[in-house]
Amino acid sequence: MKRRDFIHKSLCASVGSAAFSALALKLNLAHAASSAGAPRIILGGADYRALVLVSLDGGNDAFNMLIPRDNPHYATYAGTRGILAVPQAQVLPLSALNAASDGALYGLHPAMPELAALFNQASSPIAVVANVGPLLFPITKTEFQNGSVPAPAQLFSHSDQGTFWQTPNADADGRVGWGGRLADLTTAVGQNPDLSMNISLSGENVFEAGENVVPYFVSPDGVEGIDMVQDIPGWTEHQARRAAINALLNGPLAHPLERAYSGKFRRTVGNFEQVNASLALPFNATVESRFAYADANGGDYLGRQLRMVARLINVRSNLSMQRQVFYVSMGGFDTHDNQLLNQADLLASLSRGLAAFHQATVDMGVAGQVVSFTGSEFGRTLTNNGDGTDHGWGGHHFVVGGDVQGGRYYGRFPSLVTVNNPDDAAYGQIIPTTSVDQYAWSLARWYGLADSDRDLIFPNVSRFGSVGHHHLDFLGA
Amino acid sequence: MSNRVLRGAPGQSLAVLAALAGLLCAGIASAGDLLFTASFDESPEGPYNDYEAARFLTQATFGPTRAEIARLRQIGYNAWLNEQLAVPFSAHQPYLDQIAAIPEDVYHNIRYEAFVQRALSAPDQLRQRVALALSEILVVSDQSGAINGEPFALAHYYDLLGSNAFGNYRSLLEKVTLDPVMGHYLSMFRNQKPDPANNVRPDENYAREIMQLFSIGLVELNADGTVIDADPGTPGIQSVPTYNQDTIRGFAHVFTGWAWFNCPSNNFQFCGPGATGAGWFQPMAPNVTFHALEGDKQLLVYPGVSLPAGVLAADARPGATVQTVRDNLNAALDNVFGHPNVGPFLSRRLIQRLVSSNPSPAFVQRVASKFNNNGSNVRGDLGAVLRAILLDPEARARPLVGSANGKLREPLLRWTQVWRALSAQDPNGRFNDWYVWYPYATVQAPLHANSVFNFFLPDYANPGVDVAQAGLFSPEFQIETDTYLTRFTNLLDGFVTWQYSGNNSQFLDPDITLVNIEREKTLSANVDLLLEHLDVLLMGGTMSPFMRSTLKNHLSAIPVGAGNGYRRVTDALSLILVSPEFAIEK
Repeated sequence: MKRRDFIHKSLCASVGSAAFSALALKLNLAHAASSAGAPRIILGGADYRALVLVSLDGGNDAFNMLIPRDNPHYATYAGTRGILAVPQAQVLPLSALNAASDGALYGLHPAMPELAALFNQASSPIAVVANVGPLLFPITKTEFQNGSVPAPAQLFSHSDQGTFWQTPNADADGRVGWGGRLADLTTAVGQNPDLSMNISLSGENVFEAGENVVPYFVSPDGVEGIDMVQDIPGWTEHQARRAAINALLNGPLAHPLERAYSGKFRRTVGNFEQVNASLALPFNATVESRFAYADANGGDYLGRQLRMVARLINVRSNLSMQRQVFYVSMGGFDTHDNQLLNQADLLASLSRGLAAFHQATVDMGVAGQVVSFTGSEFGRTLTNNGDGTDHGWGGHHFVVGGDVQGGRYYGRFPSLVTVNNPDDAAYGQIIPTTSVDQYAWSLARWYGLADSDRDLIFPNVSRFGSVGHHHLDFLGA
Repeated sequence: MSNRVLRGAPGQSLAVLAALAGLLCAGIASAGDLLFTASFDESPEGPYNDYEAARFLTQATFGPTRAEIARLRQIGYNAWLNEQLAVPFSAHQPYLDQIAAIPEDVYHNIRYEAFVQRALSAPDQLRQRVALALSEILVVSDQSGAINGEPFALAHYYDLLGSNAFGNYRSLLEKVTLDPVMGHYLSMFRNQKPDPANNVRPDENYAREIMQLFSIGLVELNADGTVIDADPGTPGIQSVPTYNQDTIRGFAHVFTGWAWFNCPSNNFQFCGPGATGAGWFQPMAPNVTFHALEGDKQLLVYPGVSLPAGVLAADARPGATVQTVRDNLNAALDNVFGHPNVGPFLSRRLIQRLVSSNPSPAFVQRVASKFNNNGSNVRGDLGAVLRAILLDPEARARPLVGSANGKLREPLLRWTQVWRALSAQDPNGRFNDWYVWYPYATVQAPLHANSVFNFFLPDYANPGVDVAQAGLFSPEFQIETDTYLTRFTNLLDGFVTWQYSGNNSQFLDPDITLVNIEREKTLSANVDLLLEHLDVLLMGGTMSPFMRSTLKNHLSAIPVGAGNGYRRVTDALSLILVSPEFAIEK
């Protein structure tokens, strides 16, 4: 039976049934919808694993986040970046276990002491992945400029490049992200079929949207319930109205948008009931203390989101979740203006957030089972527009987690020279030297996706890397 | 009724038949006249019943009222539109001035308050409604640090949209381009020519967004808004980009040399808006020293483009003046405005804001052709475009059962409709209840989008079989997150089950906005009458037989006098407002 037929029959059967239970129907439907149709890959073992995308919305100027600090490389950097150059003495040194591809010594923006300390510690949990961006094929400047090798369409546009970053391949249609495809195609032994694998702390996003799977939205403060559908036994009037709204929600809706709305509504109710019950359990006090900063001084939005992710991970057993994909985001990176001031605040928040979250996973004993990683629709131009930068292409990223082979650089760093830069597509927009496909596949592989299933989600990734080795090694070779 | 079908214009008869078929399929033969029987002279071109009138007013205003339904039936669509097109805009900025004079601090909350005041009671409903639509296309946002401190300037920007809502799009595009609020939001303000010594080049922000979001979009379109397929032989659509990085660079160079209107010519870089902030309320002015006179600028290329090969030639003549800067700007705006994409691009967006998320290509094409030529050889006549949208057979016909025509009502429209329909009154006349604003129950407030991409994207498709997999779009679903669906549902529920004027609970906040449900109370002894009344007023007669019978069963079981005689009404209202059938406007 096709999914649609099944739902139709279920709905029709339910109409007029006096002993009709909306919740039971809704949960059954959620289960049926997720277990029918699409191929299911069972990810092995009872070990919990979670991926956390930290999306830096607006396009982070990563070339001012990771900065060359040795004299010759710094001079090149400072010459190109002009008034936006961070003073050399302020760069926080990173002492890496391997040499960067360009031989430079790198450091972090002065607003990021927490991440610098974490990178430099023994058994470092942080990897730096250089110059990642959406690509269709490996491409050189000449190939890009003469058009002999295809590049993604609509480069440098926020919405489109943001989509490429979150889709499994840069020529996908843009509706579905690779986190969404993971949730469409996989489940895990013991996984709760009635709660979405994907949870967003920051609303709609392409990354977590699947063909069938819809992410569940949780606010940084938790979940709230819909009054009208609360089960309040003994309040006769309320229960009667509740039965009526459930009937309307499950009724034979003729319009596709009505069905979509009803589906969204019912999913909200079911998710609330499960998550609310679990979040009512006592929090982990140590974990909470890591995020105390997020309530001070007007609050830190990223910190509050990551705290809620930590709380949800803390109740993973209560929710029977074996695999989870989380989405958090922070905006404001589109620093066309006033970049020096604005980006410093943002990077400070990112540094505190990633570090606190990692410590929280250590506290909960799941550091090796959680990986957080940054994404951003593009890097920014090396050139500037007076007090800011415009949309670029590639940019550097962090991967954080106990399983990460950290304290290392992965991928090739681009040249920062001003004139005749071999990595500059034009106007200071740097051609990525690692594709998002590889970055994403490396993360999905750790999550449990087998090599044999790789191309179901990442059809282009075999164009990158070397024969038989298309992932990056930051989570193991 | 059949008489009137025959009386309809030939071009509309199909639509009327479609509407009829919709009624018949839904099993509602000839309702819609229960409230207003045809006791007055009706307009010959329709609307022919309350349902049609209410559907039209739902698209063209912030929601039907009984009085407006009656009036529209009396004068007809065309006369109503003629009236509305002639009414001046009820501006928002004076409301901020009025509050400031109390005196009271004015932040964006007062701007939101101005919006709801106008939405609820301004006579220029169509203008107000179109101003909101335009504010979701020509987006600026109070969430940007560059303009967050300027509520008066944002109100002024909103008023610019409202007062030009029926004017020419070329003119509106220019006013928007030169408005300091847009200048700050998309950083054209104080944008300057290249300074190679310091590796500085013009800012590309506005250059990109004016093309991508305000006029032509990313790919070449057919006249009906569908994407041109450059290679029909290859499976899928091989789209053609409308511009490339060289074009963006060309426009970025044109958009240089603009700052406050009263900047001395020798102080382009540091002058302010004036002690009273007067600069915020005047178009930006040019400064030739900071304008990129040098260098040819590659602008858009398209069939019939006026500039040779789309290139605006360098103009480095010694006598260049501020007029040269203006001339360059005009040439660039003409170049954008002349692109064949503008008609279908803008038409589809306006249709989505007013009528349907999924207009047919034919609908888009009919409207776009009005954009291209209003009948008097004028391109860009927004009044003609709006008339074409609202009178189009596809807008006027009630969607057939199973059709995807229609849209999720965006939150701002859902609650303004409820407050208008139920004559909401605020004890202090302010409509500034904290839980509506700030925004708490929805991410939506006027000029408050997260980014220049608006609250939602025109092509957002809700995942799953019903929308995305069916190839449909559902922009408004993008902000229907679990959190906001929950809060907004509770808000609507509270509006009608708690905040009504007959509620004598001692816990009712005395400062709160209350709806008036006395009329509904008098109807409630007869559940059929009550439901018919609410179907007209809230759903334009689109309530399904299933929904009606479900509500009737529920309401009939409630004793007439329950809840001081209000329970039937509050239950009916809350169930309708929370239902999927109401959420989706059809």
